[in-house]
Amino acid sequence: MNDFDALLKRSFAEAHEPADDGFSVNVGRGVARSEAALKVRNATYAVGMAAAGATILYGAYGLVGIFGQEILATAGLEVARAHSAISSAPTFSVQGMMQALGAGLSQGLLVLGALAGGAVVYRQVQE
Amino acid sequence: MAARGFLNLAQATEAALIIAAQARDQAAFGELVKRRQGWARALLRRMCNSHAEADDLAQEAFIKAWDRLRDLETPAAFPGWFRRIAVTTFLMAKRKQKAIFEEIDDASPIAAEESTPEAAAGAKIDLEKALAKLSDAERLCVTLNHGEGLSHSEIVDITGLPLGTVKSHVLRGTEKLRRLLEPAT
Repeated sequence: MNDFDALLKRSFAEAHEPADDGFSVNVGRGVARSEAALKVRNATYAVGMAAAGATILYGAYGLVGIFGQEILATAGLEVARAHSAISSAPTFSVQGMMQALGAGLSQGLLVLGALAGGAVVYRQVQE
Repeated sequence: MAARGFLNLAQATEAALIIAAQARDQAAFGELVKRRQGWARALLRRMCNSHAEADDLAQEAFIKAWDRLRDLETPAAFPGWFRRIAVTTFLMAKRKQKAIFEEIDDASPIAAEESTPEAAAGAKIDLEKALAKLSDAERLCVTLNHGEGLSHSEIVDITGLPLGTVKSHVLRGTEKLRRLLEPAT
């Protein structure tokens, strides 16, 4: 480093550093404004999220209004069938048993297939 | 505000003030501003031609620092972290004014700068007046290099300017200052 570089560094180091309370007060006001703006943003976000949630609930309520009766009727019918199957007198026939077994097996296979497929997809996603 | 109850602001270390400010203690941040304003304003005054503009930018930089204080990993890194915010604030303001930092100012030959009468008489150099005669880019690079002690690569990192451009601005700016400030021989 030559003499001039040293002089330059010394001059920078010795240069006047301004300091007054007005500056800190102005920064303090700016910070307070920034905090207030942040609170407004957070409140707006909360209101927006609440409005979005209410809209989704209202939409779901509308769908239940349209399809709800149908779903309930179907469920009621299934319950009635199950009840009648349980309460009716047992009738045994080989043919009926094989039919029931076949239907049950096919349903069981479907469920097993779906579970296996789901497991494979899950594994691939994890990898 | 949790850290506030245990903190005597006037006697607190800078690290304690920074940690309290990170917990959104405005009073602790106010004390930090009081302690650091001289350095920050002097830095920006050297980079800007106008004191008023420099003080506005320093205020803006402190408010940005408040907003981003949670990003600061350790209190010890505050000076470098804040310097980066100050320089970025300065560059953004200058770019809004269409200032160009990437070009080398060949239109102002180094030899055209003349020593001031005060310098010629061996008087104490007026660094601020001499800096005012440099281009924005030269002033920025010279201030960061000689004033803040940053290397060329650190200036590249903080300003985003190409290395060759930074070297050229520092060289030309320093040479201009030498002609302006050194007593005539």
